[in-house]
Amino acid sequence: MNSPTYPANQSQNVQRPTLAVERSLPNSPFPTSYSLFEIRHSLFAILLVFLLAPAARSETSWLDRLDDSLFLSTRDGTFRTDLSVLAALELYSTGRRPPGLLFGNDPQSINPRLSLYLDTRLGNHLYSLVQLRWDRGFDPFAKPDGIARFDEYLLRYTPFTEPWINLQAGKFATGFGQWVHRHDSWNNPFINAPLPYENIFTISDKSAPLSAAAFLNRRKVSDRKADWLATLWGPSYTSGASVFGRLQKLDYALEVKNASLSSRPTVWDAIDRNWSDPTVTARLGTRPNAAWDLGASFSRGGYLIANPALTLPAGRHTSDFPQTTIGTDISYAWHHWQFWAEAIATRFAVPRVGDADNFSYFLEAKYKLTTSLFTALRWNQQFFGKVPDGTGGTQRWDQDAWRIDAVLGWRIDRHLQTKLQYSYTHQLGPLLQADQLLSAQLSVKF
Amino acid sequence: MNSLKTNPSLRLARPRVCLAALVLLLLAVAPAARAQAVIEGLVTLAAAASALPPGQRYQNPVGGAIPPPEPPAAIVYLAGKFPETTPPPRVQLPQKNFRFATEVLPVRKGTTIEFPNNDDFYHNVFSYSKPKRFDLGRYLKTEKPPGQLFDQPGVVRLYCEIHEHMRCTVLVLDTPHFTKTDAAGKFRLAQLPVGAYTLTAWLGEKMIREQKVELHDGQTLRVDFPTP
Repeated sequence: MNSPTYPANQSQNVQRPTLAVERSLPNSPFPTSYSLFEIRHSLFAILLVFLLAPAARSETSWLDRLDDSLFLSTRDGTFRTDLSVLAALELYSTGRRPPGLLFGNDPQSINPRLSLYLDTRLGNHLYSLVQLRWDRGFDPFAKPDGIARFDEYLLRYTPFTEPWINLQAGKFATGFGQWVHRHDSWNNPFINAPLPYENIFTISDKSAPLSAAAFLNRRKVSDRKADWLATLWGPSYTSGASVFGRLQKLDYALEVKNASLSSRPTVWDAIDRNWSDPTVTARLGTRPNAAWDLGASFSRGGYLIANPALTLPAGRHTSDFPQTTIGTDISYAWHHWQFWAEAIATRFAVPRVGDADNFSYFLEAKYKLTTSLFTALRWNQQFFGKVPDGTGGTQRWDQDAWRIDAVLGWRIDRHLQTKLQYSYTHQLGPLLQADQLLSAQLSVKF
Repeated sequence: MNSLKTNPSLRLARPRVCLAALVLLLLAVAPAARAQAVIEGLVTLAAAASALPPGQRYQNPVGGAIPPPEPPAAIVYLAGKFPETTPPPRVQLPQKNFRFATEVLPVRKGTTIEFPNNDDFYHNVFSYSKPKRFDLGRYLKTEKPPGQLFDQPGVVRLYCEIHEHMRCTVLVLDTPHFTKTDAAGKFRLAQLPVGAYTLTAWLGEKMIREQKVELHDGQTLRVDFPTP
């Protein structure tokens, strides 16, 4: 990466100006200023997708029939396999380098995504899921030329009729928190993930800082998305095994997987990390009634990837530097309202630096305005702890941030949905990527 | 009014005329009102499809054994012009054990349907069908969601937003004469008015069979709908 570096204390806690569009970062390789025409062009495309999607509604009765016919089953239903499809087209427009887990440098981008799910059941006790996805990278534009992957594959055994205990193995979403339950484009009220699930910070899984000062210098360059991590990387489809279930009003889950919550998609397959530093994750939850769901989660495991560029202090191993995370989640629903909130504290043991802590949370609300229209609002915030700066003092190791996401959604029918979202991020320190993001998403599901 | 007051003979004549008119009206209407026919028959039903299993990708599977789906059935109804009758009664369509109480529900146009949730978990009944679009939202067992008026004839497909496997089809009919077959396909429509009508067997949106029928007073007509 060619991003500029700054002296360790420069710009710390500097309140950055508010409008990103015409601002430029000295020596930045990324485009930083865009004509009004380009922005208007992009806005027009986004609005077009949002407004014209309902026109397709009259064509969806065949999707109903297709939806009902994409399965194979034995006559008695003992074996049944269902194929379902979720296709999404996303448009992103930013004033400058895209934020979060949007890769690439183009401020106006189109991201298509096609997910095929194969849900198979054998009797009442065996279930398997395979998710095959084609897109421009698990995170938009990480693979601009397109790539097909098996994102999930799992086998689940449920020994009893009641879901007291389920045993599961494969590559699957984490049981940490509640966001995973609504992470796909159809169920997520928003287009992006909450801040803790996508905000990249200066912890790297590929390289160890040579000093505390070097580590602190990272906060002054644009996010290095190919090298740095987030608290949780999306749904964290890592590989391993889990046991989970429900006992009366109590939910529990315990999983052992090959990679940490923060690990990037390139190390999620079972063969990627050799199981040298497995991660243990657990969640305990309760549902006092149908409206409430409360839980607490814990996770601990190695986040560093052994590679030639990783220079650890003598005698130390990657397993000596774990990511430890605790979180609490709560959700409530009533009539046309749904609320979710999560608070997550995580600690990375960083070679030659010590413990780097951060705390993040989000509050999310969704309201159905009509049968088809819904709106949602999310408030996200992330705070970074202090680490020794090598000169006897301490400094925050990254820039505190808050973000607000607002969305208007239109569920046209059971197969078509469109969303229009605006996000604004406020970050302490110099502006290193776009603070405003306008996005639209069209999803087709059958 | 003044003439009535002044002419006693006219004062007596008017009730007589009214009585005579009433008698004539009754004599004219009585045969039609009395005339009732019955249609019985058999609809050859489609084979039962395997049950749509509950979704369970990212959370605990639905607890307990979900009862098997209803065996296939057809709705048989008489189409034609019928005099306006009293408004149809309110109908309940409960959700219990993660299923709708029935998978096909015929109702008369103008029926209000209530959707009580008899499970300890949330359900969220909704429809995007043209004759009736609504979304109830999430309701507890102890709450009573508002009844929904089905005032447009047509097919209304109901779903639960939380449990994708839950489905029900409401067939809103512009006739008071309809019934649902039993699992063997047998049906009986009674108290039908005489006349010429179309008898329809509805097995699904793409499986509709029709026959012209001529109903006579006191007749029991046999009509079967074999597989075409």
